[in-house]
Amino acid sequence: MTDTTTTTDATATTDAGAAIDAVRTEGVWKVFHQEAEEVQAVRNVTLRVGRGEFTAFAGPSGSGKTTLLNLIGGLTRPTEGKIWVAGREVSGMSNQEIARLRLEQVGFIFQAYNLLPVLTALENAEFPMLLQGIDPGERQARVRELFVRTGLEGLEDRRPGKLSGGQQQRVAVIRAVASRPALVLADEPTANLDSHSSEALLDMMAELNRDLGVTFVFATHDDHVMERSRRLVRMVDGQIASDDIRT
Amino acid sequence: MASTARGRPPAHLRVLLLLAMRNLRRQLRRTVLTMSAMVVGGGLLILSFAIGDGAHEAWIDGGVRLGTGHVTVEQPEFRISRRIEHRVPAEVRQAAEAALDAPDIAPLVVARSSRLAVSGLASSAAGARPVQILAVDPGTEPAFGTIDDQVVEGRYLEPDDRVAAYIGTELASRLDLEIGSRVVVQAQDAQREIAGQLLRVVGIYRTGVPAVDQAVLHMPIATAAEWLGAGHDVTNVGVVLSSSQAVADISARLQAALADPVSRGEVRVMEWRESDPALASAIAIDDFGNYLIYAILFTIIGFGVVNTVLMSVLHRHREFGVLQALGLTPGQTGAVVLIEGLTLTAVSGLAGVAVGWAATWYFLGEGLDMSGLIDSEMTFSGIVMDPVMQPMFTAVRMLQILAFMLTLGVVASIYPARRAARIDVTEAMKFDR
Repeated sequence: MTDTTTTTDATATTDAGAAIDAVRTEGVWKVFHQEAEEVQAVRNVTLRVGRGEFTAFAGPSGSGKTTLLNLIGGLTRPTEGKIWVAGREVSGMSNQEIARLRLEQVGFIFQAYNLLPVLTALENAEFPMLLQGIDPGERQARVRELFVRTGLEGLEDRRPGKLSGGQQQRVAVIRAVASRPALVLADEPTANLDSHSSEALLDMMAELNRDLGVTFVFATHDDHVMERSRRLVRMVDGQIASDDIRT
Repeated sequence: MASTARGRPPAHLRVLLLLAMRNLRRQLRRTVLTMSAMVVGGGLLILSFAIGDGAHEAWIDGGVRLGTGHVTVEQPEFRISRRIEHRVPAEVRQAAEAALDAPDIAPLVVARSSRLAVSGLASSAAGARPVQILAVDPGTEPAFGTIDDQVVEGRYLEPDDRVAAYIGTELASRLDLEIGSRVVVQAQDAQREIAGQLLRVVGIYRTGVPAVDQAVLHMPIATAAEWLGAGHDVTNVGVVLSSSQAVADISARLQAALADPVSRGEVRVMEWRESDPALASAIAIDDFGNYLIYAILFTIIGFGVVNTVLMSVLHRHREFGVLQALGLTPGQTGAVVLIEGLTLTAVSGLAGVAVGWAATWYFLGEGLDMSGLIDSEMTFSGIVMDPVMQPMFTAVRMLQILAFMLTLGVVASIYPARRAARIDVTEAMKFDR
């Protein structure tokens, strides 16, 4: 694997005071083997994402943005290179350690919402905190406050099947942020939503980013998301093609 | 950050239990169908075991009463030789009887019988036949054996009888004997001389077992002791117990009471399995057949559990991916599935035990009348089978079956749990089902 190293460092401009980056990657490769063919999904990516960033990985299908997100979240292991999340190196961790890291430091938002159908909206939202063993009073206070803030008040006891797509995705966002992780990874969060719901969801995430300091990293090809992000990392063929900081 | 309430299960365990319970409720129809199969299977297993155990207990009881009891004390050589010189000395007999009369054992002892049993010849004007002469105490023997109930003519021995004989129909027919007929029995006495004794037939019995009806002759032990010169010696001390479950305990007590003569090799304490190996083998074979049927039944039910749990896993691929993305370890993801399988079988097992217990309870007392299927004189290992089968219900058996069903639940859930634990999270997220 030889390639030109893609290095970006926007930390200084976006979060100059942070001692530890939310994410740092160093020479990360991800190679899949499909039958006899080798697919280089991510190629030699070196990147830093500071705390409190609102960053989007953009690019066409197959550009490697979702794979990079999965690598950062520890859902898949890099073929080569190192990844740090909240200062801890993920690549050398055991499955248990990665699970613990995801539970405590990473929130996920998926394109297909992925709420657990057997739980109510409230239970889904507090699920990571349930796993963390957070006191029920504190758990519910945090979640209910976010339900009010996001216009979901009164829907707490509904199962996901009884919620609209936009409502489900808002519950998914609350689930991702309520446990106060260092980082929220959102994979095409607006792809299944209409433009109105999509805009409302972005407003909500921007507000949470601004008010609570939650770090958001998106994988997207939605123009709205790209426009709203404060840092846009464009990916082509598994490499970072450009990295723009917006003011 | 995390503050866990004291005295409650760990947070992860509570979450795993919550997910497992909700998922079982989610596919309620499938869960209920699988549970129904397990409840019926468990119930049938309990009833079947209760009937089988009851039948075996009846066979054992019939066998030991026809033979030498649940436990017998005799000389090591006697069982082969059947000769008077291989007898139990009077002091050992008394020690064995005293041990069986001990207050803590007595409630388990239904009857004991000290006998002189020898091989001999019975002769009449019509001819001679080899016989097994059982010299018994007419006062206590009816409580020990069942042969006194099989009388077809005359009566059983009575305490005042001196020269009375109680014989089977086949022997009576072959020696042309009837009530009041004289019969001479000959056997080797304690001095190794052939000695004869004149008896008079007081009763004729029919057990339905040809080997018994042809050859077993009962006579009073007092007469036999004098005739054979045995004094107070006997050839065996046998005991019938309230249940075969008590055999090991009583055997151990007798071993302890007779430690010296046993260590000297003068006598041995034998349990029914050793003294009646044919019956023990017959029951073992019957058990094997039953276990084979149970194994087939529960393999089918096991596949039902695997199917239910595995289908549930295959339909929740994406969910397992989400759970792991949210912080569950692969092991914890598998544990959700294991808990589901275990809960399914635990609840079904308990309900099955309740159903089986109720069905067994229904048949207790009256028994299960199989006379339409079993001939009234059908024998099993030399014992006439009672067509009315009395179920036997024991807590140990119930716990065994419950443990077996729980094990089945765990085993049947292992494969689905492994599948859930080993998913590729990123692939699972793409899973659309």
